Amino acid sequence: MIKIDRGPWREMVNHAQVAYPNECCGAMIGTIDGDRKSVSHAIALDNVSVGSQAARYELRPEDLLRADREARQRKLDLIGIYHSHPDCGAYFSETDLKNSCPWYSFVVLSIQSGRFDHANSWLPNAEQTQAEKEELIWPES
Amino acid sequence: MARIMIPTPLRQFADKQDTVDLPGKTVGEVLTALTARFPDLKKHLYTDEGKLRSFVNVYLNDEDIRYMKKDATPVNDPDTLSIVPSIAGGCHARS
Repeated sequence: MIKIDRGPWREMVNHAQVAYPNECCGAMIGTIDGDRKSVSHAIALDNVSVGSQAARYELRPEDLLRADREARQRKLDLIGIYHSHPDCGAYFSETDLKNSCPWYSFVVLSIQSGRFDHANSWLPNAEQTQAEKEELIWPES
Repeated sequence: MARIMIPTPLRQFADKQDTVDLPGKTVGEVLTALTARFPDLKKHLYTDEGKLRSFVNVYLNDEDIRYMKKDATPVNDPDTLSIVPSIAGGCHARS
């Protein structure tokens, strides 16, 4: 289960809506207690995908390294990655799967006509062949 | 000798440590020492063929070792090695 606090949730939704009609991406940091993950901070990261970003995102590994360092400095953990799907559902696409990492939660925000619609969290496997839906709790859910 | 920063989800396979100091003169030697000390980590970092998984990047301090000498990149105390995944995606192509 992954629970996102009100502050980072607002930042994630705002980031996704501002980036519309392009995809946005970022990192989520917080605490992990067994299977319970709690996100207390969101870090907006650059979408560095070359070409149209309406249906693509890519993180700079260096940015993720910085996010991990920030988490460690705060005595927190890097828990997951978020990105948006403009005018698409919050499913985990084949493109998402083929470019995923099994270590983190992947929160997908569906943005419909510029406004937040719904979200899901996914846990991809190491072979990048399937992703399991993870229970996601956000303030208005 | 180098310090390896262990990503949060992998710490359960490394005695819950967030950093590990390991001997070695090159990146490859230090990574070998890592998986020798924590064998359960190996399948998370390497394929069955013994290659680093496609999404795994290794940084020596702030530099990607692919742009240095890869596994042969020399390390010196107090260098830091970080394991950082490549991540991308996009909403086209429903799985």
